[in-house]
This record gives sequence, structure tokens and C-alpha cells, in this order.
Amino acid sequence: MSLLLIVLLPLLGSLVPLMGSNERRNACATMTAVAPTIALGIALAYMGQVLDGDIPRAAVSWIPALGLELAMRLDGLSLLFVLLILGIGLLIILYTRFYLADGDDMPRFYAFLMLFMTSMLGIVMADNLLLLWVFWELTSLSSFLLIGYWYRQSEARKGARMALTVTGAGGLALLAGLLLIGQIVGSYDMQVVLDSRELIQQDPRYLPALLLVLLGAFTKSAQVPFQFWLPHAMAAPTPVSAFLHSATMVKAGVFLLARMHPALAGSEAWLYLVGLTGLVTLLYGAYFALLKHDLKGILAFSTVSHLGIITLLFGLDSRLAVVAGLFHIVNHACFKAALFMTAGIVDHECGTRDIRKLKGLWRFMPLTTTMAVLAGAAMAGVPLFNGFLSKEMMLAESLQTPLLGGLSWLIPALATVGSLLSVAYSLRLVRNVFFDGPARDLPRTPHEPPRLMLAPVMLLTVICVVVGLLPALTMTALLEAAASAALAGDSPELHLAIWHGVNPALLMSLTALLGGLLLYLQRRHVFAFQRQFRPRDARLLFEMGIQLGVRIAQRAIDSLENGSLQRYMLWLVIAVLCVAGSALTQTSGLQGPLENQPLDGLLIAGAIIAMFAGLATAIMHRRRLISLLMLSIVGLMTSLAFARFSAPDLALTQLAVEVVNMILLMLALFFLPQKTPQESGAPRILRDVLLAAGFGGIVASLNYAVLTRPLESISDFYLENSVPGGGGHNVVNVILVDFRGFDTLGEITVLCIAAIGIYKLLNRLRLFMPSSDADGRPWALDHHPAILGTVAQTILPLALLVSFFIFLRGHNAPGGGFIAGLITAAALLLLYIARGVDWTQQRAPIQFQPIAVAGVGVATLTGVGSFVFGQPFLTSAYGHFHIPLIGDIELATAILFDLGVYLTVVGSTLMMLANLGKMTTRHRPSKNKEQA
Amino acid sequence: MLTMTHLVALTPLILVCITAVAVMLGIAWQRHHAGTAIASAAGLNIALLSVLVIWQMGPVETPLLVIDGLALFAAILILISTLVCVTLAHAYLEKYPGPREEFYLLLLCAAAGGIVLAASRHLATLFFGLELLSMPLYGMLAYAFRERHSLEAGIKYLVLSAAATAFLLFGMALLYAQTGRLDLAGLAVALTEDPNAWALAGAGLMLVGLGFKLSIVPFHLWTPDVYEGGPGPAATFLASASKVAVFVVLLRLVLVAPAFQGDWLHGLLAVLAVVTMLVGNLLALAQSNLKRLLGYSSIAHFGYLMVALVIGDGLAVETVGVYLVTYLVTTLGAFGVVTLLSTPYSGEDAAALHHYRGLFWRRPYLTAVLTVSMLSLAGIPFTAGFIGKFYIIALGVEAERWWLVGGIIMGSAIGLFYYLRVMVTLFLVEPGMQRRDAPHDWGVRAGGVVVLGLALLVLLLGVYPSPMIEWVKLMAVAGS
Repeated sequence: MSLLLIVLLPLLGSLVPLMGSNERRNACATMTAVAPTIALGIALAYMGQVLDGDIPRAAVSWIPALGLELAMRLDGLSLLFVLLILGIGLLIILYTRFYLADGDDMPRFYAFLMLFMTSMLGIVMADNLLLLWVFWELTSLSSFLLIGYWYRQSEARKGARMALTVTGAGGLALLAGLLLIGQIVGSYDMQVVLDSRELIQQDPRYLPALLLVLLGAFTKSAQVPFQFWLPHAMAAPTPVSAFLHSATMVKAGVFLLARMHPALAGSEAWLYLVGLTGLVTLLYGAYFALLKHDLKGILAFSTVSHLGIITLLFGLDSRLAVVAGLFHIVNHACFKAALFMTAGIVDHECGTRDIRKLKGLWRFMPLTTTMAVLAGAAMAGVPLFNGFLSKEMMLAESLQTPLLGGLSWLIPALATVGSLLSVAYSLRLVRNVFFDGPARDLPRTPHEPPRLMLAPVMLLTVICVVVGLLPALTMTALLEAAASAALAGDSPELHLAIWHGVNPALLMSLTALLGGLLLYLQRRHVFAFQRQFRPRDARLLFEMGIQLGVRIAQRAIDSLENGSLQRYMLWLVIAVLCVAGSALTQTSGLQGPLENQPLDGLLIAGAIIAMFAGLATAIMHRRRLISLLMLSIVGLMTSLAFARFSAPDLALTQLAVEVVNMILLMLALFFLPQKTPQESGAPRILRDVLLAAGFGGIVASLNYAVLTRPLESISDFYLENSVPGGGGHNVVNVILVDFRGFDTLGEITVLCIAAIGIYKLLNRLRLFMPSSDADGRPWALDHHPAILGTVAQTILPLALLVSFFIFLRGHNAPGGGFIAGLITAAALLLLYIARGVDWTQQRAPIQFQPIAVAGVGVATLTGVGSFVFGQPFLTSAYGHFHIPLIGDIELATAILFDLGVYLTVVGSTLMMLANLGKMTTRHRPSKNKEQA
Repeated sequence: MLTMTHLVALTPLILVCITAVAVMLGIAWQRHHAGTAIASAAGLNIALLSVLVIWQMGPVETPLLVIDGLALFAAILILISTLVCVTLAHAYLEKYPGPREEFYLLLLCAAAGGIVLAASRHLATLFFGLELLSMPLYGMLAYAFRERHSLEAGIKYLVLSAAATAFLLFGMALLYAQTGRLDLAGLAVALTEDPNAWALAGAGLMLVGLGFKLSIVPFHLWTPDVYEGGPGPAATFLASASKVAVFVVLLRLVLVAPAFQGDWLHGLLAVLAVVTMLVGNLLALAQSNLKRLLGYSSIAHFGYLMVALVIGDGLAVETVGVYLVTYLVTTLGAFGVVTLLSTPYSGEDAAALHHYRGLFWRRPYLTAVLTVSMLSLAGIPFTAGFIGKFYIIALGVEAERWWLVGGIIMGSAIGLFYYLRVMVTLFLVEPGMQRRDAPHDWGVRAGGVVVLGLALLVLLLGVYPSPMIEWVKLMAVAGS
């Protein structure tokens, strides 16, 4: 369990500084340091066990469904990194105490730092692939917080965002890769995965998995072509750079390479991808490090270059190279952290980091200068320093590689060039800043920093020197443990020593040292050479990329989403055309097995009228009244078509609905402008016509195809059972009032409730009668022309008679309560329109609410009535009666039910529409109440 | 024949409808804003409880509706989102000058529609549910009709939605003409016996209609305008409950009907999924209005979800379940903050990003909620969104759909960028410009409490999602 504590303690520790205050800085720093110190103690306590080859593991179940468990392991590799993270982390805490200015919020910084430390520890100790990824993402996030610590600087914000976007995207790729590996192996347990090398590498999914994992590792470790984010992350406070960008976070990528080495390495793909990427990065970073003028910029590019070295080493297909890579990780972390902290001190003391302004600082800060010289020598790979050892191992291994086959001599050659460059930039860094004549024009007069601020630098430098002098004594045990984890087997025998005799590697080292010196002296040629190129700032490129994305998005938005409804409709219809059109192309022909109906004159005439009216509706749509009239013709023709194709009942219903609709539309038109202004130009009209034609064509083809195919539907059942079961020949009516009477009852109830709802909701609506049309012409003073009034009045009794007739015959012939109700409603509405609300209200003071409610009541009672005869709800009976004068009549109880339907339809329709009309008059419901 | 079992199984739906009727009659009798809100919330809560009770019953099928795990799952999500909308609406409409009570009526009707839609096993209920869901939304979106944007949003949604519904209906008609069946099971059988191009066209048109409601590219154009213009609670409902219901029914169609599993439609779905993820995220980059940004983000998220439709195997249902839960919680949180900041109603909503500049310095807790929501939308570990994204990527990887996985990764990377932009804005130094703010006591109001609770839930689901996953698994088993 105490294994988990190593990770959890810093997590708890991230809360500790928040309790401290910005004023009491020493206390805050001390309190923060407690948790990592204990964690370091625990790790050291495990050290003996781990060096003996044990792998302590601990696990707690977390999300079993995802295969994610809180599992930790501490093998040699983890131990190496844990010591690095916690050790350098503690030094950083000390250094930060003095680095942060008074205005900076110290608790926040420490909290972020500890959060980062937790996630980093999580990565290196994770014993579960997914857990590793979770912590991986957390490092991205917490590094975002740290880089953006000075959030007031736009530079810092942009750098932070870039870092997070690049590493975050890489992280997602990594997730996919890890999931894939999990799929192949069948488990996310680290040990199982590491043991399944054969299984993984023989799987066809190996290559995608490898690519995805490497994508994650390369983005994190700033390998070409993803190197660009690292230099811009330098906007962070220097302790962050020292910790994240030298010792830890960027090492997460190479850690992953080491961690997955047993499972993924050894293939051609790995060799080329990893090896070549490392080589290119090594050269790229080293070259640009030489050219930079910003102190931290030089260090950033040199970090890129050194990460390239490590990647190259893991890529080379040799066991000793892996050991060299691990060794270089440690060495690089030590000297680079020391150099970053030195750079921070210089910045802090002089107020600038520009190498062109800095000069001769050794007079002011001899101690710092000494540290910088030593650490710089380590970076350059000067003998007697740790950097020399790992670099020489690298050069020795590069001679052995099978990479590039016959051209494999390129690898050591280029590696030597890289070392040469690194010597040159190290020299430049140290000499230009600390020596090179007396200082001039410094923004501030520098002096030595506080002892405690220098202490971490000193400690790290001492480590560099000690490791350089006594490598076998200090590092062998740890490296062997780490290597046996990274190689999943015994580590190759290590002979760490300063002197291996004269061998090619030594010669290469010497060449690099001398060449580097020479290059440094002749550096102005390099600068001159570089000046011929346009400077390309990676951040600008990234920002340009983003800006380009934004611009494309903006253009897309401008052209697609300009807020125009027509445009949206256009795209919707085009999309439908594509979908339906492409579906149509899948078919062989439209004609189905059924024959076409014969054409006759009547049919053709009807079709022509309908088409003409439809066209006219569209063309005349700016003059709304005319267009409405044309629309009514379309409706009429539809009704006639129903009638013609033996659906008289449907035709009648359609007709009635048409009429009611028309009246409603007229009412709406009254409140709307009379004309629509012309807005479309000719091209747009053409476009719309084409689109409409295309769409019509598609719909027509689909209809044709459907109509020429036989259709089986449920109607046969009703046709057969209508007379025996319901006693009526009008099937539609029988369905309504008998077969599905219960549904109808529900429907009319809903209709009634809805009408009452609308009626009540209209209470507060205030509509004002327009007195003039859109052009400002006043409406006729005579609101109710005599002709219409007379006609409406004359029609009313007739309409009522017709509706009664239709109601009665409904059960057997086309008709029924619903249609009859609509006819009555239409006639009454016409009267309202023709004579006005006042007039009608005086002569027929009918309240429609009771009528609607009564309708529902009648229908329900009819249903309940069947209980009296011991039948289930809504059972109907029918019989024949002989009435004198009229003759034989067939009556069904359903007719009572139909009466209910009739009443409800009349009541509801009028309740809604008549009251809508009333809105403009003094009969407005709420008005009455308020006045009363 | 309708039996007692059926009625019991339909209790949640019936309860919601009863609440709607009660609220309507209540309004007619006596207007009272707080009373109406409380009555609606109470009704929804009882309905929610009843869902938990009937969870124990096995799947119950009526000819039109099926109450199975999936339906109940969707019902729970819809009821919860509606509840959140009710609490938000109560805060939001406080100072609204017009009638306030009808909003709850519309909300309840839409919720009922959503429940019907998600439980439909028949094209008739599908259509009916969809319309019952959409119609009240027209009113809700245009509720602040004196505000030009709100009215515009309502009308745009009305016109476009009507067009989309027409396509849906036409598609159904084609399917019916082909098979003579309207129930999904019968449809599936008939289509398996005799698959052909008409069925494809019908299914394609139905996809257009449903895709419109889910704002899948290229049917998404209305989304940002409508989200931006509509009042906060209405936009919230549109982004949460409405989408959940429609997606569930689409999932049902894909799982049941073979026409949706043929190569052609499969390919179409896959293309739409990739396009939706990428376009949704890309267009969000340029947004300077949080509501529009959230609109595009929801487009992108449904692009991710469509991966589950494309793959459509057993794990897909579970994935959809998990993703919907995480998406819903997160979206409700984000929209909740926007709504609270525009509270009480005072004209246009505070949605421009500059309204949020330096929000942290005056409303730290609200900022925390929004930050958590953004992190979750971006899929950062330890938030709910991560679990959802994990499931989707895992599904894509398992099915070896590399294009889809690539699309998810690309889309998420772009997404990360603009979510971060919002987050950074929150913490910038406060400018001296005029600002919109939540009322001082927002934290103790129902809306505030709910939003805080949602943020905690986002974190909880991110850290300890096992119970949720177990629950969703139960649903997936009961549903299939």
C-alpha cells in the first residue's frame, strides 16, 4: 500500500500550499516540501528491494468496466524516474521560493507543481496501460496550468495553449494506441502487455498501434515534427522550465519508449521510426540551439536535441543502447536542470535573457559562473563529466547499428555532427554570457543570488561531476535495475568508466570537441548562412495554422450560416436531394409490376388545373390573397382526385378541412402585410427553380415507383367487417365510431381540452385591428360588405340542413359527425366574418364551451350506456326501423356517439376561431372581465 | 388490449401528462409563477420516482410503445433534463414581463413527447412523439418574442423543422408502401424478406428528418442560430432532452431495422459521423458567442456518438448510454451557467464571450462549474466527459474503424483548443466594460443549487463512474 502513497502523497500535497499564504513564503515552501520528502523516503526504502530484482506492485480496483485499476509498480525503470522526479522536484521547490517575485501567487504555483508531480509519478509507476494514459493527460493539463502561470502575459497563454493542444492531441492518439494494444493482448495489465511481445508484433494491428503510441511519445518529447511547442513553452517561469522541460515532462515521451520497449521494440518499423526521428531531432535541435539569442531558447532547443539523442538510442537495435539512453536521461536531467536554474538566476539578476546583451558576468557572480561552466561542460560532453560518458556510449552504439543498411555509416557521422554542434552551443552559452569582456548596458547590476537559491544548482552540478568521475560506483546498480526493466531481461554487463582505451568512439568524441570549438570560433559564418533564410517562428506557424482554421471556419460560416432561413432550407433540400437521389441510383427501374392507369380527358384536365394552380401559387406568392385563392384550387383538385379514385368520404373530409383552413388563413392574412417585397435576383430564382424541379422530380419518381407496386394493407379487414361488425357501409365512419371508437373518444376529449386551453390562453393576447394595408391605404370603412353578409346568411340554414343530412347518412354513405361538424362550423364562421362579431353575438349569443363539453359528454354516455345492457364499454348495436313517410331507416347506437363527435367539433372549432376573431373587438374575454 | 400491466408501465408518461394538464388548468384558474414551477417540478419528480419503481418490471410491450431498459433509461435522462430546465426557467423568467407560466406547460408537453419518442416501437408513435417534442419547442424558443433573436429562432426552427418532418413523413410513407407495416418489428421482418432501393430511400429520408433534430452535418445549419436566439432554458432543453430522445429512437431504428444496416446507409452514416465531428469542431473555432459555441460543440459530440450507430453492435448500446449520460450532465451544467448569468430575464441572453471575461473574479463558483463543464466537454480525465470519450474511442478501436477514430482524435484536438479558449477567458483580468451578472443569491436558489450539483456530478462520474456504468449495462441488457 505504501507504494500508492508515493503517488498519493504529492496529490494531497497539492492541497497543502493552498493553506499557506503568500506572505509567509518560507512556511509555504517548507510545508509543500513535506509530502514529496516523505514520498522520496518511501521510494528510497523500497530501493534495496528493487535493486535486488523485485518488482513491488500494489493495486486498488477503480473502474473495472473499463479495465482501469489503480495499479502501481516500482521496477528499476520506475525507480530511476521516481528518484529523478522527487529529487529534482524538491530542489525546484527550494529554488522557486526565491525565484517568484513578490506579486506572484506562491500557493497557486506550488499547488500546480505538486499536481504535476503527482501525474508524473503516476505515469512512471502505472501498472496499467490506461492508468498510465490518465496520468499522461494529467501532465498535459497541469503543465498547461504551469506554463500559463503568468496568465496575464499573452505569450504565456499562447504557449500554454499550444503545448496543451499538441500534447493533448498526441495523448488522444496514444489512447487509441494503448486501447489497440489492450485489444491485441486482451488485458491492460502492464506485466501482461510487456510479456506479450510475440503476440503484439505478429498481430496485423501492430503497425497502427505502434504509430499511435509513437505519435503520443513524440508529441510529448518534442520530436520533429512536433518539436515546435517546446521553445514556446519557455514563456513559463524558469522553475517550470527546469522541472518540466528538462527533467520530467518531456521525458515522459522517452519514458514511454523505454516502458514499451519490451513489447514494441525490435521490429524494422520501430528501428526506422524511432531511430530516424531521433536522429533528425538531434540535428535539428542542435543546429537551432546554436542560432538562438534567448538564453532559455538555447536551452530549449538543446533539450530538443538531447531528447533526440535519447530517442535515437532507444531506436537503435541494441541492448547497450537502451542502457545508454537511460543513462543519458539521468545525466541530461541533472545538467539541464542546473543550467535552466542558472539561466533563471541570470534573468533574475540582470533583467534580461538576451545573450547579445549579457557579457562578463563572472565578475559579479563568480559562484554562479563556476556552476554554469561545470554544467555547460557536462552538456558539451567534456571528459570527466557525466555528459561525456553517455555521449560516448551513444557514439559507440551508433557505430553498430543496422539502420539504413549500407548507408549505416551515416548514423555515426551525423551523431558526431550533432555532438559537434552541441559543443559549439554550450561554448557559446557559457562564454558569451559569463566571459567575453566586461559587461555593458545591463538593465540591472547583478550580484550573487541568495545561497539557498544557488544550493540546488550546486547540488546538481556536484552530481554531474561525481557521476562523471565515479560512474561505476554511483550509477551501475541503478542503471542495471532500470535496464532490466526496459529490456525485460537481464541488463547487459555494464562497464562504466572514463577510460576505455583509444577506440573509434573516443576519436569521434575528440573530433566533436575540436570541431565544436572551431565551429564556435567561426560561428558568424553560420549566422550569415542562416540569415539568407526567412526566419520562421514555429509559434507563428502554429498560430497561422490556427488562424487559417479560424478563417476557413469563418468563411464556411459566412457562406453556410449567414442567418438566412432560405439558405438553410436550400442546404437541407440539397442534402435530401443527395440522399434520396443516390438511393434512387441504386435501383434498376421505376416501373413496378402494376400497370399504369388509363388516362382520360377528365383526369388530364384535372391534373393540368392542379398543376397550373400549384404553379400560380408559387409565382403569385408575393400577392398573398391571389396566391391563397390558387392554393384553394389545389386543395379542391385534391379533393376531387380523392372523389375520382373512389374515396368520396375522404374527399368530403378534405373539402371541409380545406374550407376551415382557408377561413383561418384569411383571418391570419388580415393581420399580415398584403404583399411580400421582391428580394430574389434572377440567378437566385433560377437556382430555386432548378432545385424545386429537381426535388419535385425525385418525389414524383418515388411516388410513381410506389404507386406501381402492389400494396397490401389493413383496409381489407375493415372492408370485410364493416357491415357485419358495425352495421355501416361507410367504412371510414364505422372505423371512427365503432371499431376504434375508444380512440375517437380520446381524440375528441383532447380536442375539447385543447380548445378550452387555447381559449383560456388567448386571454391576454392583444391584437389590434390594422386600419391600413402595407402601402398605407386605409381599409374600406365598411367592414362587412352587404353581399357577403347576405350570402352568408342565406347559406347558413342550407348549410345546417346539409350538415344534418350528412350527419344522418354518415354511417352508410359518405358523411358522418366529423364532416357535418366541420360544415356547420364553416357556415357559422362565414357568418362571423361576413357580419362581424358584434352582430352575430347579438343574434346568436351562443356559448361554445358548453357545446364542446356536451359533445364529449354525449359520446361518453353512449359508451357507458352499453354497460346497461351488460356489454363492454362502447359496444354498439344497430337495427332497422320503419318510419312513416320517410321509409326504412337503419339506425345504430353509433349515431349517438357520432352526435357527440359532431357537437365537439362544432364547439371546439368555433371556440378557437370565433374567439380569435373576437380578439380585435370589445368582446375580448379578458377585457370584459377587467372592465367588470 | 390495454391491461393493468401496460398502464403501470406507462405510469411515468401518464404522470407527466397529468402534470401538464394540471398545470394548464392551473394557469387557466389562477396564474402563479412559483406555484406553477413547483407543481411542474413535483410532477416530474414523482414521474422520476415511478420510473425507478417500474425499473424492476421486465420489458412491457404495447402495440405502439415498448417500455424496456432503453426507454426507461431515456425517460430518466429526459425527466432529469426537464427538471433542470424547470429550475433554470424559474430563475430565468423571474423578471420576464409577459406571461411566465406557459413555459412550464410547454416544457412538460415536450418532455412527454420525448418519453413517447424514446419508447416508440411503431412509426405512428415515433412521429407523434417527435411532433409532441418539437411543437412546444417552437413556442419555447420564441417565448421571449419581443426579443428579435428569440422570435427569429422560433420561426427558423418552426419552418426548418416542418420541412425536416415532411421528409421524415415521406420516408415513413415509402417504408409503409414497401412493407405495409408500421411497427418497427414488422417493418424489420418485411424489409429483411424483400430489401430494395425504395426502402433505402425511405430510410434515408427518415435519417434526414431525425438527423435534422440531432443537428447532424449537413442538417445542422439551424443549430447555432436557434441556440443563440432561444431563451436559456429552451436552448438547454433543445440541447439535452430533445437530443437524447431523438438519438435513442435513431439507435432503436438502427438496431432493429435492417435497412439501416445495409452497406449504403452504413457508409452514409459513417461519412456523416466524420463530417459532423470535424465540421462541428472547426466551425466552433471561430465563435465568439458561448451559446453558439456550445451549439457547435453539441453538433460535434453527436458526431462522436454516431460512431456507435455506425458500429451498432452490443457494446454500442452501452457506449451510447454512457456517452449520453456524461454528455447530458456536462451540457446541462454549461447551459445552466449561461442561463443563470442571463438571469433574471432582461432582454438578450449574456452569451458573448466577452461577457465571461474575468468571470472568475466575481463569480468563482459559477466559473468553477463552467470550467468543469468545459473540461468535461473536452474529455479530460477525472471528468465525466472522459469516460464517454473513452468508450467511444474504445468502440472505434475495437471495431477497427480507423477513419472514425482518426476523426474523433482530430475533432477532440480542435475541441481542446476552443474549450481552452473559453476557460482562459474566464480567468482573464476583468475589463472595465459593462457586464452581465447572475443575481447575488444565485447559489441558494434552486437553479444555482442544481448547477452546482451538476458540476459535482461531472466530477463524481469522472472519478467513480462504476455505478453509472453498471446501471447503463443493466439498461443495455434489458434493452437488447
